[in-house]
Amino acid sequence: MNTIKQNLPSPDALFPYLGAVLLILGGSYFFPQILGVDYLAQQLQIAAFLGVLALGATVVILLGHIDLSVPWVLAGAAIISTSLVGSGNPALAAAAIPAALLFGVLVGIVNGVGVAILRIPSMVWTLAVNSMLLGVAVLNTGGFNPKGEASPAMTLLATGDLAGIPVAFVVWMAVTGAMALLLKRSGFGRYLSAIGYNEKATFLSGVSTPSVIFAAFAIAGLCSALGGVMLAGYANQAYQSMGDPFLLPTIAAVVIGGTSILGGRGSLIGTVGGVLFITLLTSILSVMQITDAWRNIIFGLIIIVMLLLQTLRRKSQ
Amino acid sequence: MSRSEHPIARLRGVSKIYGTTQALSDVDFSCFGGEIHAVLGENGAGKSTLMKLLAGVIQPTSGDIEVNNAVTRLTSPADAMVRGLVCMFQELSLVPDLSVRENLMLGAVGTGLGRLNASVVRSAQDILAQIDGGAIGMKTRVADLSLAERQQVEIAKALTRNPKLLILDEATSALNASVVEKVFRLIRAERDRGVGVLFISHRFHEIESLADRISIFRNGAHVETFDNGAYDYSAIISKMVGQRIDDLFPPKPPANPDAEEVLRVDGFSWTDKLRDISIVLRKGQITGLGGLDGQGQGSVLQGLFGLLKGTEGRCVVGGIPVTITHPKQAKNPKLGIALVPEDRKTEGLILQQSIARNLELAALGTDGIDASDVTIYQPFLDALELKCRSLDQPVGELSGGNQQKVALTKWLALGPRCMLLADPTRGIDVKTKTQIYALLRRLADSGVAILLVSTDYEELIHLCDEAHIFYQGRIVRHLTGNDVTAEAIIAASLNIPLPAQTSEAANG
Repeated sequence: MNTIKQNLPSPDALFPYLGAVLLILGGSYFFPQILGVDYLAQQLQIAAFLGVLALGATVVILLGHIDLSVPWVLAGAAIISTSLVGSGNPALAAAAIPAALLFGVLVGIVNGVGVAILRIPSMVWTLAVNSMLLGVAVLNTGGFNPKGEASPAMTLLATGDLAGIPVAFVVWMAVTGAMALLLKRSGFGRYLSAIGYNEKATFLSGVSTPSVIFAAFAIAGLCSALGGVMLAGYANQAYQSMGDPFLLPTIAAVVIGGTSILGGRGSLIGTVGGVLFITLLTSILSVMQITDAWRNIIFGLIIIVMLLLQTLRRKSQ
Repeated sequence: MSRSEHPIARLRGVSKIYGTTQALSDVDFSCFGGEIHAVLGENGAGKSTLMKLLAGVIQPTSGDIEVNNAVTRLTSPADAMVRGLVCMFQELSLVPDLSVRENLMLGAVGTGLGRLNASVVRSAQDILAQIDGGAIGMKTRVADLSLAERQQVEIAKALTRNPKLLILDEATSALNASVVEKVFRLIRAERDRGVGVLFISHRFHEIESLADRISIFRNGAHVETFDNGAYDYSAIISKMVGQRIDDLFPPKPPANPDAEEVLRVDGFSWTDKLRDISIVLRKGQITGLGGLDGQGQGSVLQGLFGLLKGTEGRCVVGGIPVTITHPKQAKNPKLGIALVPEDRKTEGLILQQSIARNLELAALGTDGIDASDVTIYQPFLDALELKCRSLDQPVGELSGGNQQKVALTKWLALGPRCMLLADPTRGIDVKTKTQIYALLRRLADSGVAILLVSTDYEELIHLCDEAHIFYQGRIVRHLTGNDVTAEAIIAASLNIPLPAQTSEAANG
């Protein structure tokens, strides 16, 4: 009688996939080319950038916190990597990607210190860190787009393809798999939701909650930096504010994927679905020739409807 | 007793069904004015459902509720309050982030739409002064109050609502004997004014001293109502559980004062809350900490578990001096200390998570233990007879007693050498209590040293091998063997000498 249910994806996590399929079917009614391999492969490539960011955001949101420093960790990592490549020194160029990722981890740890040790609400602390990173970037570049270029490796990450499958998508899936394994196999995943639900009870169970918080923010920083490296590879440059349009879609994707913004409940698999849904929605709305104003209104409405449906379905259980 | 002629509230054929669980089945029940009516039953017997129906929190699935002889639908707690049905819930219903004053005014008669009725604050202060709560500051945040202080505020809040029927659900569970007596004096005064009181408690001696009539509930059915005194303890208990429980407490083995020391603290102090505490915990012994609330008993447990900063004194575990600074260090098998905290809902458990997830949280990451293997918890769950659908059920859906079983079991798989328990039977039904007592004794017999803080002096007397009584952060008396008596505990709690032993206490 006392059995443990196999960890099947929850309905919460499957919901956005259903939404994504409906979007494709609905969209193909008006634009048959949506069902084409080229279009779908392109969507997977674009989704990968948001997808990598959203994985990091999921970990932090599961914890009951939020990381608002995504935009400038992303931009910072892009600036660092392109500048190192642009320096012309082969040793520095080779260090471009590791340096950018290290930068992300370091900012993540700074975020973790503020939240776990100084006990400053993550929403405020990470916003402040984001603002300071912006300042440092502007000081360094004088407010102009930084000089530099992407390395072949970065370009490959962003735009290459592997037997027809975009490399960016493969990277996204690989990171998802690695993180899913980490969350499932180690105590870390259990601790994340436990802290998200009740930090006090978790601490009183003898868990070193600050280390878990450090690790979570470091992972989020790493993901933001990886997103920055990939985007820089995509655009073959870094530019000011390149991360700004990503912050809110990242959070929206996590929440649509069934992760509670209050922490505790949620899954990576749901977030992947949320990312696919948001990417497809954005793309289909831009294919439809309507004004920006209406596109924004419809985007907002559909997000609200998705969340309402999630809430209603959960309540009816 | 001038019991009113007509019932204030009456249930006729009331049933309440949650999903597949029948919480109440076809209950007829009346409460009259001018009478203290105790409701007894195990957790899950339907008492809380009964209270919630009368307080307007939930509506019956079938059957009628009559208030003042008219069939009424109580659609909300506010609706019930307007009709004079005021409930003080077991689940403390104060808003933690508001001050005491704000909480008292919240929902008070005459408050609303931007109007605050401040007069209730004055009368609440009068009430608090009568129940030893006079020192509670009106501007204090409720979150900063102790559990006992919160209960005192709850009581004051309920009484300022001018109830016709006052419903008290485990109203005194965190209070100590002397405060409880004062609360009872107030309740009796209300009764004498013609107010009906519905009283739920798991402490028999409280019911015996307070109730006029007693109703027994079992498995959602109203078993019997009788005058207080009509039956003795054991008859009442057997009516509640449907079977006879001969002994609430397991037999005590002979004390062994020379047993191996597991943990010793000497001159343990912390700010002005703890002064010069010295306690020795031995293998196989259950040591009790008693006294009025907030005298430092709880802080001793927290200090030993590494939760307090800036403690002084010597702590020796297994013969090795240690400084414990973190729960993770305390639970390490080298020390083997476990703490079951006072508030199982916010500190001991994660209510939204499943039983299995809660069980593994303490053992995760400990070498040599596969925390996610549920079979390592099964023997303890079986011994405690945990009632659940499956281990995937969220802990929040369990009754209080079953929740406490989970909170205890999650530590047992670690095989602790020393268990620290903060009032583990607070608000728990009799049957679960006996199961927990039996388990604690078995653990002790297997060599675990147990330190137990209790607000129920019966536990100190019958369960513990020895007891330390606290007063203002100091141990004022160390009782062993036959000296652990109700009189001695109460006297020490109030820091007054025992009548018969005046000279001895004066010397000490």
